[in-house]
Amino acid sequence: MSQESDFADYAREAWGSLVRSGVFLGCTLHEAEDLAQTTLVRCYTAWPRVVAADNRTAYVYRMLLNGLRDSKRRRWWGERPTERLPEAGDATDSTAGVDTADAVHRALAGLGRAHRDVVVLRYFAGLTEAETAEALGIPPGTVKSRLSRSLAALANDAHLADYAVGRPEETTS
Amino acid sequence: MTDLERTWDDLPVGPAPLDALLREGRREAAAAAGAPRRRLRRSRGAVAVVGGIAAAFVAGSLVAAPDSTDPVAALPPGAGAVDGDVATPVVFFGELEAPGSCDDLLSHYVDGGVDLVTAYGWEPTPLDRDLLGPGLSNSGEVPALPQATAPLDAPTVREGGTQDLAEAGTTRATSSETGTNVQEAGVDEPDAVKTDGTTLVRLRESTMTTYDVSGVVVRELGSVDLDLEDGEILLTGDTVIAIGNDGTRSLTNGYNYGYETSPQTRVITVDVSDPRAPTVLSTVDYDAATVTARQHGDDVRLVLSAGLPDLDFVRPGRNRDGAVALRTNRALVEATTIGDWLPTLGIDGGEARPLLACDRVAVPRADLGLGTMAVVGFHAGAPVEGHTDLDTVGLAGDASLAYESPDHLYLATPGATAFCAVCDLPVGPSSMGGTTSVYDFALDGTSATYVGAGEIEGMIRDRWAMDEHDGVLRVAVGPSSETGPFSSVVTMTAEDDALVEIGRVDRLGVGEEIKAVRWFDGLAIVVTYRQIDPLYAVDLTDQRDPTLIGTLKIPGFTSYLHPLGSMRMVGLGEGPTENGRRWGAQAGLFDVTDLTSPRRLDVHSYGAGSRALAGEDPRQLTWLPRSRTVLTVVARGRAAYVSALVVGGGELTNTSTRVEYGSDADQVRTVPLYGAGADGGDRVVLVTGEDVEFFDLP
Repeated sequence: MSQESDFADYAREAWGSLVRSGVFLGCTLHEAEDLAQTTLVRCYTAWPRVVAADNRTAYVYRMLLNGLRDSKRRRWWGERPTERLPEAGDATDSTAGVDTADAVHRALAGLGRAHRDVVVLRYFAGLTEAETAEALGIPPGTVKSRLSRSLAALANDAHLADYAVGRPEETTS
Repeated sequence: MTDLERTWDDLPVGPAPLDALLREGRREAAAAAGAPRRRLRRSRGAVAVVGGIAAAFVAGSLVAAPDSTDPVAALPPGAGAVDGDVATPVVFFGELEAPGSCDDLLSHYVDGGVDLVTAYGWEPTPLDRDLLGPGLSNSGEVPALPQATAPLDAPTVREGGTQDLAEAGTTRATSSETGTNVQEAGVDEPDAVKTDGTTLVRLRESTMTTYDVSGVVVRELGSVDLDLEDGEILLTGDTVIAIGNDGTRSLTNGYNYGYETSPQTRVITVDVSDPRAPTVLSTVDYDAATVTARQHGDDVRLVLSAGLPDLDFVRPGRNRDGAVALRTNRALVEATTIGDWLPTLGIDGGEARPLLACDRVAVPRADLGLGTMAVVGFHAGAPVEGHTDLDTVGLAGDASLAYESPDHLYLATPGATAFCAVCDLPVGPSSMGGTTSVYDFALDGTSATYVGAGEIEGMIRDRWAMDEHDGVLRVAVGPSSETGPFSSVVTMTAEDDALVEIGRVDRLGVGEEIKAVRWFDGLAIVVTYRQIDPLYAVDLTDQRDPTLIGTLKIPGFTSYLHPLGSMRMVGLGEGPTENGRRWGAQAGLFDVTDLTSPRRLDVHSYGAGSRALAGEDPRQLTWLPRSRTVLTVVARGRAAYVSALVVGGGELTNTSTRVEYGSDADQVRTVPLYGAGADGGDRVVLVTGEDVEFFDLP
């Protein structure tokens, strides 16, 4: 059915950015995968509204943010691809994932939530200014000012220098 | 910032877990839809009682001359009557009942339709619609083709299928006589390309072209334009059967997104006895969607699915409130005739006539969704000039999951396989409740005879999860509300009028879902997936006592398994790339000599972001035993490659050749000409979007 394949195409394409955004917004990698899954399942059940939305990307990222804020969010047990066998006892990669997430969180910690949201959506997830504004429910001008302030703050952040020492290449096999 | 950007790119994010997303989405949508739907279905019980009275009725007549008691003759004119039909009688019993008359059959449809119709017609009300999600079409579209919705898992191939003593082992699977990698040996499937070894026929969009593939280079011979869309072809002798549709789509009303599956089937017969001048012999139209088309020798069998009739429904508006609209729409359903519900047949543009006589349409006791299945058999070589050239049988319900072995056709309720299984109308409590109904038909030539029906707790993922050997149906079922959180292999056979369970293995992949199944006479290989990819070997030598004999766990997942012989299998799927941080397509070589301990000998990774297309369509894989080479299509970015994997010394050696760009990647085929090489080796024709040429093996 074309709707289902449309959804599948969309999910396939959006998955990476949704998970990455989740991590950059403060989740562990696994929480971020959960969050992306929850968001996409909601997209599925509300697909006509997603499709009909003036801006699909903004709509979906707003759902992602809502999911993130929803502290009572049911933890979903579904399958997740991982790099290694859980029972293999080789946790190098997942540890690296945790370390990476930690480093990201430390780097972005100085920003405050409002600024972090803007920088993640606009800068990393690549939403347009209008999409970011719509997803966050703030005026486009605010997106612009928060972004420039956030980027300036990040450029001066000492954590980034720390982080550069422990790049993933050196921690994974 | 660059470090953070790099971190963004390097986060070890796997592929989207589509199966899980779809399953969970359907489940949530179904949960939201459950309450209103159950209320709507209150009067079904009465239908079963009416049907029960007629249970012993044996319909049809061997007498061509109509008399007043003949149910065929009793039909109102133009409403289900099939004139001059000297049909063999159809016998229904048990779970499938013959209607006592056309009126009985009509009341089955009308009772179901009145329950189903809303103030908006076959669409749910706007309130329900938000709960249900998308997927409703005006014409009550049938669920999509299983081929189209369900990524093809592992097809089934059995060789020497008539052996009495099955062994628990794998057997070599090569392409069909027409060069297609099919589900079932001896049962050919349509594809865009077919060959008889010397002539190759290709359908691209509406142009059918013939090529000579017996020379040093491929030469184009001739072509013909077919008035057909979404077509694929079968080839038998000098006849090509092209199956597609006339381009009809249901309306996109701003609410639907994109197009629906066509509710129409067009079958064009083309004579290629002179391949330079292919000639259209006949065009037959059915107003029902294609579910499957299969060819056994010269016999072709279509399984068609007709949805709900297109009625002039009203909607609530300024001059009409919801209650009035609902009453009006119910009255419209009550005023339907049997001709509105049963699919029609039109030959060479002639007048559309009913395809099925009422007495050839079984009424199921189980509460399937509302709709009509039609099984149509005909000889490929003989022109279809009327009903007498078709062998038909119908089922007044939605059982649009079809699997065909050489001797049996099984129709099953689709469960939650299609998007619309949750939001479309024809979903009954039986499938909502996690139980699948299965109907068994024995095949003989062009005819299909009802054998019996049964129920399985759990969901059948798609047709690839079913297999038949020695009259026993073997099914891999996934979890539903009626089962534990695991998959099972169940064996069933017809006893009297029922399909009864005779054996089962439970607890395969607890908390996981089935990704691929490969059946052999005495063996099933089942692959499930959650975080890793467990592969289970189930011994089926005693079909009453299937036994789990071996398990292998590997990273990534396998969506297609191809047996090379009795010792090796190749699995295509996805997994981590060498540096372990990104995902991509991979091919694995498995040693299945000792089934109690299957091993992975080697793995070849195609790099981050690549996709193994054969995992979605096994017709994009070819096994050449003589040169021990597997040809398969891999996409990376916008480019498509043919990957030639040479198997030797327990290793896979890959040579990739870029052959195509963009969306035509799906059309790439490697058609084998077994034994056509100068030294008795195999030749391969590479078919891409634009070109047909020989492919040099590495």
